[in-house]
Amino acid sequence: MVQFINTIFNGLSLSSIILLTSLGLAITFGLMRVINMAHGEFLMIGAYVTYIVQEIFVKIFPESLFSLYYFAALIAAFAVTFALGALMEHFIISRLYGREIDSLLATWGISIILQQAARSIFGMQGVNVKAPSFLNGGVSIGPCTFSHNRLFILVLVAFCLFIVWFIMYKSDFGKKMRAVMQNRAMAQCMGINSKRVDMITFSLGSGLAGLAGCSVALLGSIDSTVGQNYIVNSFIAVVLGGVGKLIGTVFGSSIIGFASIGIENYTSASIAKAAILIIIIIVLQFRPQGLFTTKSRNLDE
Amino acid sequence: MKIKNQGYNICFAVIILVLAAMPLLLSAGVITSSSFILFLGKCIAFSIVAIGLDLIWGYTGILSLGHGLYFALGGYAMAMYLKLQATNGKVTSFMQTGGFTDLPLIWKPFLCTPLAFALIMLIPVVVSGLVGYFIFKNRVKGVYFSIISQALTWAAYSLFTGLQSYTGGNVGITEMSSVLGSIKGSAHQTNMFIMFYSSLVILVVVYAVSYGLVHTKFGRLLIAIRDGENRTYFSGYKVSTYKNFIYILSAVFAAIAGEIFVNFNGSITPTQMTISYSITMVIWVAVGGRNCLVGGVIGAFLINLCDYNFSSGAMVEIWQYILGAIFVVTILFFKGGLVGIIRDQLPMAIRKVTGKEAG
Amino acid sequence: MKRKLTALTLGLIMALALPGCGGSGSADSGSGESASADSGDTVKVGILYSATGSMAISEGAVKDAEVLAIDEINAAGGVLGKQIEYVAEDGASDPSTFATKAEKLVDQDKVVTVFGCWTSASRKAVKPVFEDYENLLWYPVQYEGMESSSNIIYTGAAPNQQIVPAIEYLIEQGYSKFFLLGSDYVFPRTANMIINAQCEAAGVEVVGEEYAQMDQTDFGSIIAKIEATDPDVIINTLNGTSNLSFFKQMSEKNYTAQDYMTMSFSIAEEEVKTIGGDILKDHMVSWNYYMTTDTPENEAFVAAYKEAYGADRVTSDPAEAAYDAVYLWKAAVESAGSFEAADVIAAVEAGGISFDAPEGTVEIDGSNHHLIKPVRVGVIDAEGTINTVYETEPVDPDPYLTTYDWAVAANLQPVE
Repeated sequence: MVQFINTIFNGLSLSSIILLTSLGLAITFGLMRVINMAHGEFLMIGAYVTYIVQEIFVKIFPESLFSLYYFAALIAAFAVTFALGALMEHFIISRLYGREIDSLLATWGISIILQQAARSIFGMQGVNVKAPSFLNGGVSIGPCTFSHNRLFILVLVAFCLFIVWFIMYKSDFGKKMRAVMQNRAMAQCMGINSKRVDMITFSLGSGLAGLAGCSVALLGSIDSTVGQNYIVNSFIAVVLGGVGKLIGTVFGSSIIGFASIGIENYTSASIAKAAILIIIIIVLQFRPQGLFTTKSRNLDE
Repeated sequence: MKIKNQGYNICFAVIILVLAAMPLLLSAGVITSSSFILFLGKCIAFSIVAIGLDLIWGYTGILSLGHGLYFALGGYAMAMYLKLQATNGKVTSFMQTGGFTDLPLIWKPFLCTPLAFALIMLIPVVVSGLVGYFIFKNRVKGVYFSIISQALTWAAYSLFTGLQSYTGGNVGITEMSSVLGSIKGSAHQTNMFIMFYSSLVILVVVYAVSYGLVHTKFGRLLIAIRDGENRTYFSGYKVSTYKNFIYILSAVFAAIAGEIFVNFNGSITPTQMTISYSITMVIWVAVGGRNCLVGGVIGAFLINLCDYNFSSGAMVEIWQYILGAIFVVTILFFKGGLVGIIRDQLPMAIRKVTGKEAG
Repeated sequence: MKRKLTALTLGLIMALALPGCGGSGSADSGSGESASADSGDTVKVGILYSATGSMAISEGAVKDAEVLAIDEINAAGGVLGKQIEYVAEDGASDPSTFATKAEKLVDQDKVVTVFGCWTSASRKAVKPVFEDYENLLWYPVQYEGMESSSNIIYTGAAPNQQIVPAIEYLIEQGYSKFFLLGSDYVFPRTANMIINAQCEAAGVEVVGEEYAQMDQTDFGSIIAKIEATDPDVIINTLNGTSNLSFFKQMSEKNYTAQDYMTMSFSIAEEEVKTIGGDILKDHMVSWNYYMTTDTPENEAFVAAYKEAYGADRVTSDPAEAAYDAVYLWKAAVESAGSFEAADVIAAVEAGGISFDAPEGTVEIDGSNHHLIKPVRVGVIDAEGTINTVYETEPVDPDPYLTTYDWAVAANLQPVE
């Protein structure tokens, strides 16, 4: 029983991390059809921003305020990656709409540049952020321990998910956004400034990557390759769930998360990884558009 | 049509002639290091992958981000044969670490030379055939295909690193010589030359086959599939079969390249089947110029030559920035890559300049 | 017609580019030759580590230590009256690139020796290169053993200078339920094969053996397996960055060294600095050298290292072994009276090449090209310093463990 609860919690926790890293992609890739290979590097930037904010707090503020750094870091990470996303959209992505595969290759170039920039600025060695004191340790219920960290990430994911859902489906901007993504020409005719919508949408996706970076910083080391560890998983989660559907990404991430933990219980990590990927590839054979699809009469969708 | 495409062939011929002259230059003492020839040998392997990728991407519009898988499959098959030659059929140290006292079953066929060579060619055909059959039959295309191909490579990578006692894990298969025996060092220069020229011949054959193929009706069909898959369907062609065929062909080219690579490199590791390695291969084609076979060859040589020369001292950092910038600029402004620049942009620029002067 | 013309231009550019690059290569090697010839006043050596890719994070510090040693030697007058000039190549975390670059160094740049490689994968990939070109590689990292090439000098620990004594120490301390945790590559696999044999001979139970992927970031299910088997010590051979994820995730479940003691073979000062003393407090590590090792040579080494690279930098066992490698090479060259790899190897095999290293005097064992060095088990304190709790006299290297009965009985020596 204890082991069962642990497995469920671990699965939930891993799913939430994958979901957090995929949420941004669900927007940039799922809605805008831009394959942003530099998404992982935005995550890395978010993590480094967390580190910088921590260092600033250590230097400037008294120790009693140290734990608050994390909230500042969350905001800063979102802001920085949001701004960078806007820049990148303006100069690069805006020229690549409708050229999905080209967007993949161009952003791969960006990711090489950003990785090298991280090495040049922060040195080759990885850096570490200290979790704020309220995230240390965990709550023990009977023999099970749930770490604060993981619980916090769960809450953060739920929060982000709600915000994204609200923006996408309940706000005025979301309506415009979906309109532009579904039929750009028609939306423009209705007086929507599609350029502005594109930029904000892309920046939002990038900002979410920054938030994800801020939270994975709590779990491991921060170095120039941290983004690469998450990016492929995220892409697969989005594709598995179904492009363009928020609920799909939630399911995609959960399937990968729970399956990883479940299979890893019986075999080694490498074999588990291979098994999950093969299962996903087989599933995608039957549902090439992912588990949740947007209904469309367009032949080439 | 004829004149237009002859230009590419002339260009390819020039490259081949220059390459063929390199060993002679070495003998004549113009080039002093034989390792440069070994490196060019690896580049020949890379340009073969690039031709294969151009066939499926440039001509058919299927972007595979997992061709490292076939490159490595060919490489591993070759390496298994060569390793057994090197150890005289004894178990290797990684098998011993895994607890084997006898050769594992999948290694046994590689003891027999003809069977080994048959397998070396057959394994990529079977794997790519199966993968292609299901993926294309189910009409997975575009970005979905690219991401599935990534997942496939990643799965294979995890499997190869996880099954250490069979594959050598992260270390891969090392410490073996080429099919001709050792090709490194000044004592084995003749072997190296034979190896180099045979690879060059393979490159020419691969190019000729691809060139012939894309200039038949089949080739025009591929382009039709790229430009309007559904229309081709409705015209009564079985698109999935065509796609599958070209995918297998391109996988076989990648595998052949992997085999050549192992001979020159003397080892194969799972790094060769990582996603980033596979994307690098696509980048060669993109930078050289897609949709014309020679573009991939140029791209493969150019990027690798730069990698080779700009990797010491302070250049390491700068080169990473330049490399990234090249990708971005090429994709954004020069869709035709280097070939495109010279074919389209350069004449236009010249016309502009001369036009202005005239005006 | 116009098309044809432009295509011809294209061909011409390509034709010019190729020999151009080849030519530049030959020009490089030309200057290299003159540098390595006896008439010049410099001698060229190669340094080969990853500056890009996933391994750059670990390999940078080792390179720094070697550059420091080279600068020191140059300031003190060089080797055989020549200044050392180094060519640093980037292995890009890819073993095949390591092989290509090693060939480039020894054949094109004509370096007299190469200091380099971190992972076993890269070492095994370059080994044939050094053998075929009859050059010499100085490999500075502790590794899994079961190897001794005449063209490689191993300045890090062999298994019997790190793993075996640490396990002996643990057994002496009364630990009896071992859990083996490592990254999925050759060092942990081979190390665990050795540990399994050793534990079996000593009658100690190994309750679990798990391998994480190299880039694994989530250790939830591995920690669950540790909880389920309830060992009293975890033998940790995770590689660099995985360690941080693992220990962070252990500590977020409130586990300390009192719950699960760990003995780590890949955590040195660099890693302790990133992970932090608060998390690693009271955990054990095993190396030959710590920053706190109490010798006058070490005091000078640490001071010089900090002065060269910043006061916040730390020295570690691999960095120290890399530093030793350069000085040992100098000693071997001076003993041989020549820079030729064959002469240097002959001098090494004649024996007696030693250096008063920060870890104490080390000597190359001519018979197997490894170093005779002391073993130290350390405990990490809350400030993140590693303090020695157990120290041996210098141990003779035994890469194939032929002097251990249990190892011989378990047939660990490779037949290859």
